[in-house]
Order: sequence, then structure tokens, then C-alpha cells
Amino acid sequence: MNTRRWQRWIPAAVIPVAVVGGALALPLQAGAAVPLPERSPQEVLTLLAESEVESFSGTVEQTSDLGLPSLPSLSGQDMGLGAGLEALTADHTARVFADGPQRLRLQVLDEMGERELVLDGAQAWTYDFRENEAVRLTLPDGATDRIESRLNELESEQTLTPSAIAERALAAIDPSTEVTTRDNVRVAGRAAYDLVLSPRTADTLVGSVSIAVDAETGMPLRAAITARGESTPAASVAFTELTLAAPADDLFTFSPPADADVTEKTLPDDSAQFEARSGEHDASHDAGHGKPTIVGTGWSAVAALPAGSVPADVSSSPLLLEATTAVTGGRALSTALFSVLLTDDGGVLAGAVPVEQLQAAAAVR
Amino acid sequence: MPARPITGALLASELMLQFRRRRTWAMLLALAAVPVLVAIAVRVSSGPPSGRGPAFLDRVATNGLFVAIAGLTLSIPLFLPLTVGVVSGDSIAGEASQGTLRYLLIAPAGRVRVLLVKYAASVAFCLAAVFVSALAGVLIGALLFPIGPVTLLSGTEISPVAALGRLALVAAYVSVSLLGFAAIGLFISTLTDVPVGAMAAAVVLSITAQVLDSLPQLEWLHLWLFTHHWLGFIDLLRQPVSWDSFGDNALVQAGYVVVFGALAYGRFLTRDVLS
Repeated sequence: MNTRRWQRWIPAAVIPVAVVGGALALPLQAGAAVPLPERSPQEVLTLLAESEVESFSGTVEQTSDLGLPSLPSLSGQDMGLGAGLEALTADHTARVFADGPQRLRLQVLDEMGERELVLDGAQAWTYDFRENEAVRLTLPDGATDRIESRLNELESEQTLTPSAIAERALAAIDPSTEVTTRDNVRVAGRAAYDLVLSPRTADTLVGSVSIAVDAETGMPLRAAITARGESTPAASVAFTELTLAAPADDLFTFSPPADADVTEKTLPDDSAQFEARSGEHDASHDAGHGKPTIVGTGWSAVAALPAGSVPADVSSSPLLLEATTAVTGGRALSTALFSVLLTDDGGVLAGAVPVEQLQAAAAVR
Repeated sequence: MPARPITGALLASELMLQFRRRRTWAMLLALAAVPVLVAIAVRVSSGPPSGRGPAFLDRVATNGLFVAIAGLTLSIPLFLPLTVGVVSGDSIAGEASQGTLRYLLIAPAGRVRVLLVKYAASVAFCLAAVFVSALAGVLIGALLFPIGPVTLLSGTEISPVAALGRLALVAAYVSVSLLGFAAIGLFISTLTDVPVGAMAAAVVLSITAQVLDSLPQLEWLHLWLFTHHWLGFIDLLRQPVSWDSFGDNALVQAGYVVVFGALAYGRFLTRDVLS
């Protein structure tokens, strides 16, 4: 009886062990070597520059592990700072559909909602399911033509071959950055070369930046930033699925739902205004001070906004107080990859360097 | 002796027993009451403003079909596991406590067959529970609110008929996502002669798994939890449909069914049935 009882337990023991073992072993296979013809870093860069993939559909995953405190009070806040921190601390999954250079659809898959961006030539829509808000963006007449002709102009001016672009890029970054390749990887089921950019200076928090380049098409499949002294990336964007075929046509036409709030926006025409707008965000609190100044070069450069850039009501907001810690000379936000220092006099310093270096830069400013 | 007719007869009698019970009807009614209460609450109040409140509740007032989705979303964390836990936890332990288990086990039924039939009855209840909840949502939604084109998460509008198709897919997803939990309940049920203990243990497990799933520190564990994909049905409401979570969910549930099915088999075949 005893032996029979023992034998009857065999399937009960073997099956769970097999299932769990199989589930554990499958991801390990992904780490197996990927055989590809040998290529130098410059050849991989050439491959990247030659890439002509314009139509695809895929799923992209963005993960960040910046060592920021996760702030439960952030959820549900729609203020700009909260949304910015949410984008930094939370992981996101998005689906991307592209058909040629002018048609794109991006779907950010939220847990109980979705945010859309639909681009079709000069027409663009954004839509947020949770808010049920649609925004129609119109590029000014002829803007796309002008951009295209400008691009063509640039191309004809330089007439650079992909390998020349790769050579120039390498030459430009070589003084500050070492470019190497490491073991081939498999991203979204595709074999890829892994290009690694490592800063030559030890002053920065960044340990390396890696770009996985699809061996077949030269398309970038993954970009990851690893902090100094760490082995897993602090931030990465990677395809988890990729199909190299033109997506269904109706994905690029968007008509807002009947009950949605629709607003219309026309983007400003002048390209100079465009540049002013992009700088506007940083300096919006103080129009008089203008663009940030850059202290230092390369990886350890620090961007600085002068004193009085941040109004007192922003710097004393509870969210900011929760996210930052008090240090000598102000309050600091310190992450695995970058630091931000808000000085007591309302200045801002930021860079991919430790807080101490920001404090030093603030002292000599 | 042909095995199939006996299994069929056993299954038929088990299902009859299951769906004739007053308890089963009471639980199905309670599940149907969730979307009804949601609909009435939204109807008598002005409803939460856009973008606020639990998922989809703000859409209910403009389109009755969202009542079913909102009702399911509210039932998934507690009400559905509660009722499935009661049925699956009771399956073996209930017979044991009533002293009817040994009659069931008198040849030619055999223990494996009893186990399979009991699990099949739990699965039938999972299906019934989810579809009753969805159906009640559709009916009360159609009664109290306008029915029109449904806006998917991607902003695409589909016809009410296509929306019913999506809803059926969602109900199938939710039913599948309860299969692993039903297997866990069945295993716990083989451990004891006290049905209430098995039911409570199963329900507590489902809540524990959901709590673990919400702790960011245990991220490595999340993919292994049977509750992790419970709200993933949302991916079926996107355009184009994202089938990834359906596949992931089915795989996890199959893993739980196989593992806990095997454990239940081991326990039930070696157990001394005295009552």
C-alpha cells in the first residue's frame, strides 16, 4: 500500500516541476549566443545609416528604473510636473504603426485607457480615451513640402554615403566616447548587433549607451542607458514585436468619436518660432532670462538656468518637496542617470552628473 | 465497459445538481445585481465627470453597452473570485462533509473521473457567472441608457453589433482567467472535509495574489500570479485588437490548471475517503 501511495504522487510531483522548470528555462534560451557575421563598430554604424525601413508595425516597451521614489500621490494628477515625473518613473507599452515617412500612428497602452497620436501628412490627431478629448493639429500650408525640400537640399548639399555619415559620426564623438560592439543580441525575435557608446570621462553618471541594430535591415531595435557601475539598464526603449510590412490603411485616418471634446490647433508657421517654442518650456516661468547656459562639454556638461528662473510657488509645491531632497545650496533630485539642483535663489542646474558636481557648478556660476 | 457514457452521465448529473442548487442561483443573481446597481446609480445621479471615477463609469451615461464592461471590471477583483471560490472550494470537501463522497467513488466512477467532473462543473459555473454578469449589464444598459456606436480605447467607433462581439470576447477572456483559480480551489477542496475552510482559503488566496500584484517591489513575481492578467481584457477593446494579453493569460491559466490539477490528483488518489 505504501509504495502504491508513493507512486500515485509521482505525476502530482513531476508535472509541477516540469511546468515550472520549463517556464524558467524558456527565458534562458533568449540569452543563447546569436550567430551573425562579424562587423566592426563603424560597419554597424553604416548599417544603421543605410536603414531604409519606413513601413512597419510593432510594439515598443519603455522601462525606467531611475531610482526615483515612486510617488503614489502622482496618480490622477494632471499638472505638468506630475505628468513629467510619471513619464520618467513609470513603464510604458506602446504600439507603433508606420507607413512611409509621413504616416504614423502611436498608441500608448495605459492600464485602463489609451492615448493616440495619428499623423497623416499635414493632418495630425491626438486622442485620450480616459479624458475623451481629441485635438486636431494642422500643420501650416506647405510646411511638409518645405520640410521635405529642405531635407532634399541637405541631402544634395552633402551627398554623403551612409558609410561617410558613419565615419563622420564616429570622428565627431571619438574624443569623448568610445564606440564598441558587444555580443550580438536578440530583440523582438530578430538578430541584432549591439553597439555600445561608453563615455571616456568618469565624471558622468552614465556608464554606457547601447543601441541594438537589426542585422537584416539596420533598423534600431533597442536603445538602453546603463548607469555607471550597474549591469542592467536604468532606462530602455525596445521593440518587443516587429512586423516589417505596411499596416492597414485605415489606421492612419482618424475621426473623433461623436461625444468627444474636439479642439483645433494650428501649429505656428515660422520655423524660427518653432525654435523659440521648444526653448519656451524651460524658460516659461521667466521670459526675461532666455535659454539655459551650458557649462562644460561632453558627457559631464551641465545645463544652468540663472537665479530667479523658478518662481517660489513652484519650488515650494508639495509635489516638488516630495520628489526632491534638501542639500546645501538648495533642493536636489538625484536619479541613477541625471541630477537636478534647484538652488535657493531660484536657479536650476541639471546634467548627467552627481549632485556634488552641480553644487560645484552652482558655486562658481 | 465504455468510459464515455459514464463520464457524460456523471457530468450531466453534476451540472444538474450544480445549477439546481439555490446557492448557485443566489450567487448568479448577486453577480447580475452588480451591473444593475451600477446602472441605477449612474442613472439617478449625474454620473462622474469625464476621466474620473472607476474605469468606464463615465461612459455609461452616454452608451448603455459600457454598463456591462463597467460591471465586469467591478466584479473581477472580488465578486467573481468569491463565487468561483465557493463553488470550487466546495466541490470535493462539500461531498466529503455530507458523507456522499464515498458513494460517488464507488466503482465504476473512479477518482480521476470524479475529479475531472467536479472541475468541469466549476468551469461551467465560471462561464455562467461571467456571461450572466455581462448579459445583465447589456440588458439594464439598453433599458436605462441610449445604445449607439461604441468608442473603443483607440478612439475608433464600432457599431453596437460589433461591440456585442467584443463584449463576448471580453467575457470569454474573463472566464478563461478564472480557470487557474478554479483549479486552485479544487486542490484546496481535496485537502479538507470542511467546505467553508476550503472556500475561505481559496478566496483569501485570490486576494493575497492581487495584493502581491500591486506591490511594485515584487515585480519579478507578477508575471507568475494567476491574477496578474485579470484586467488585461482591456486589450480586446483596442483597435486593432491586441491578442498578446489573451495569449499570456491563457498560458498562465493553463500552467495553474496543470500544476494544481496534478496536485489535486495526487492528493485525491492517495487520500483515505472515510466519509
